[in-house]
Amino acid sequence: MVVTWRAVVLAAVLGIPVAVAADTAMTLLAVGVLVLVAVVDIALAASPRAVTLERVLPTSVRLTGTATSRLTLVNGSRRRLRGVVRDAWVPSAGAADTRHPVSVAPGDGTRLATTLTPTRRGDRLAGPVTIRSVGPLGVAGRQASIPLAGRLRVLPEFASRKHLPSRLARLRELDGRAAVQVRGEGTEFDSLRDYVVGDDVRSIDWRATARRSAVVVRTWRPERDRRVLVVLDTSRSSAARVGDQPRLDAGIEATLLLSALAAHAGDRVEVVAFDRTQRARVRGASGTRLLPAVAEALAPVAPVLVEADWTALAATVHGALSQRAFVVLVTAIDPAVVSAGLMPVLGGLAARHQVLVAAVSDPELAALGADLATGDDAYDAAAAARTDLERTAVAGLLRRTGAEVVEALPDDLAPRVADTYIALKAAGRL
Amino acid sequence: MTAPPTRTPAGVGSGVGSGSGVGTHSGAPTVRTTSGPVRGDGTTTRSRAARRWRRVGWVVALLALLGVVALILALVTSPGSKLPLAPDSTQPRGAKALAQVLEAQGVDVHYTRDADEAAQLAGPGTTLLVVPGLTWDSLDDDQLRALAATRADVALVAPDDATLAAFVPELDDAYGYDPLGAGPSCDDPDARAAGTVSDQGGGYVASGSSSDRTVTLCFPVDTADVGSYAVVQGATRVAVYDDARLFTNRDVAQAGNAALALRMLGRHHDLVWLLPDDRAQASGDAGPAAASVLPTWCWALLGWSLVVVLVLALWRGRRLGPLVPEDLPVVVRAAETTRGRARLYRAGRTRGHAAAGLRARTAQRLATRLGLPRGTEPVGLVTAVARATGRPAPDVHDLLYGPPPTTDDALLALARRLDDLESEVHP
Repeated sequence: MVVTWRAVVLAAVLGIPVAVAADTAMTLLAVGVLVLVAVVDIALAASPRAVTLERVLPTSVRLTGTATSRLTLVNGSRRRLRGVVRDAWVPSAGAADTRHPVSVAPGDGTRLATTLTPTRRGDRLAGPVTIRSVGPLGVAGRQASIPLAGRLRVLPEFASRKHLPSRLARLRELDGRAAVQVRGEGTEFDSLRDYVVGDDVRSIDWRATARRSAVVVRTWRPERDRRVLVVLDTSRSSAARVGDQPRLDAGIEATLLLSALAAHAGDRVEVVAFDRTQRARVRGASGTRLLPAVAEALAPVAPVLVEADWTALAATVHGALSQRAFVVLVTAIDPAVVSAGLMPVLGGLAARHQVLVAAVSDPELAALGADLATGDDAYDAAAAARTDLERTAVAGLLRRTGAEVVEALPDDLAPRVADTYIALKAAGRL
Repeated sequence: MTAPPTRTPAGVGSGVGSGSGVGTHSGAPTVRTTSGPVRGDGTTTRSRAARRWRRVGWVVALLALLGVVALILALVTSPGSKLPLAPDSTQPRGAKALAQVLEAQGVDVHYTRDADEAAQLAGPGTTLLVVPGLTWDSLDDDQLRALAATRADVALVAPDDATLAAFVPELDDAYGYDPLGAGPSCDDPDARAAGTVSDQGGGYVASGSSSDRTVTLCFPVDTADVGSYAVVQGATRVAVYDDARLFTNRDVAQAGNAALALRMLGRHHDLVWLLPDDRAQASGDAGPAAASVLPTWCWALLGWSLVVVLVLALWRGRRLGPLVPEDLPVVVRAAETTRGRARLYRAGRTRGHAAAGLRARTAQRLATRLGLPRGTEPVGLVTAVARATGRPAPDVHDLLYGPPPTTDDALLALARRLDDLESEVHP
């Protein structure tokens, strides 16, 4: 049961006869009139439970993008449905206006569109649809909240895609397409062709030249079909806020850029999100299907407040990879956690694979104590220095096992990881 | 769940594919929700009523139980006031016991709280009992004069000064403290019948004002000329007792209290029992005025405005559907542990420790920038830095490996100088 502003006005107007008569009988009569009007109006309102509802959503939308939730409702009652319909969403779905005034004839239908601008990655859930149906007098009515499942998958923003063109250009420089076609480390035999003036004489294949009467040179190209495994740490250290988002989100950006780059370079990419168990996994996807698959798989991944089980992770990596591969561990360099968890297993991993530890550093740490104004700032600076020393020491220990370590601010991590990948590829260390 | 009606408007079913792929990753087609069309929430009027009853039923049951208990209590406990010395009060300080005995003996007790009414009721051949009100001077002079003018026999118990002066100017308050307890010591038959009474002192003494009435003092206190009980006999008889507990339910049965009280009040067939109402006097000035200033329609409108406010509350209070909860990400910042460490340094004033951290980081950064190998001795680092910056080597050594600062200001200065040193060395 609901009443509207008109009921308030009606009650206020009924105050006039009550004041004029100023006796109990008139007051009771006025109350009676008020209740009678409300009851009649409620009885004449369309039943909100006789409405058939259906919500149509896009499967996914990228963060900062816009989606539309389309609600179809068909009035199944024998009375006209007047009132308001609310298409409820969680706050971070960014629904612009969830309340829609409706007036639907019996048996007729209508469509309502709610614009969603999500502010967070992940699965954004819809709430129930609330129908407030008021009677023909508009004084009172009925209301019901109908549970209607709805889910909008919000994909990571992939803001680092702006770095992709420049990195692809550098990848093409590595590749033969940009006229750099010399033998070097990190290249493999591509094909034989006739010698043209200007070719490096060192690349002449004498054996083939002897078989034919023309001079033949070998051509080279960067190694292809390498395996790249990105391991995304979703344990508690990834939950902490860096800037205005969880540390995990910066790691996802780096994962997406690296996946896009590696897919263009012809490598086979696999992504695992892991804490104590596997949270998400992408394998077997290649080419243009890879990036959507990674974005889709990582969209609902949320940090879990548990300690990562690096031993189990190492077993997973060993199981997934039979040959030498490029393993990227996207995590945080937390001295206590690293020395207890990651360090013992990293040696084994680095012995078999090329390991890159990518960590998100905190801009707040650099800002802490940068402004030396009072004595308290000096203590802040000292604490930041101590943390810095410990992290540097841990990073040094990690490097000593043979792993590469990239530590960068959230916005810089993705391009830095991409650069390291290109550098390793150029050096033939994949 | 019922099938959707067949009269679906055109375009509803077919047009849902349009507008898809807005910002989606790979032009993903729109899909319907997994649940499909939904009609109603699966409840009926009966199931909703049952659910509501489950939710608020215990409140209703509790209220009903409370109501029943209140009803039983109201039926069991006898009605009656809780005023001290009221003839209908069963409290320890009430006087119902006395009033009931008097009525059983054929005395009509006219209980009133209005002094004017008491003055009308009292007259020759009646007894007028004036008991003290809740406050001092609860009767004004006019009322006292009117009461004294009735030619009734008067019984006073613990009267205040004004009352005493109005009825028996022949007596004064005496502030005795030691009842002799030797019986009535007078010729009054009532006192002799009582024998002894419980008494706490006080008493009256003859004031010496000229009068044609005879004063009898009984139950002496301290000395023989001070009495707890006084009888002034003239055209009418005035009996005064100094302790209100003579009449109370708790004490009336002690010693000869009952005999004295019954004989004081039971002289005539009619007893006017006056317990002055303090509020009648107090509110007499303001009470009727406030109500009569506003016209009646105003009161009606005021009452009706409550109804309007109720409807307003119903309108604004009903939410359009429930809130949709959401699990939020962690809000703890990653730098929180470092901040905590800074607070520990600060709380402990560990300047040496803080300075060591700052120096170690600067040394490490300088070594990295100057390309020195790991494990370079301090001497080597100092020499390299001195060469790179042009500073004297002892200064650099003092900065990097000097004694720890002893004050906060010294620590701050050290931090600034280390910053300066770092900025002078370029990789």
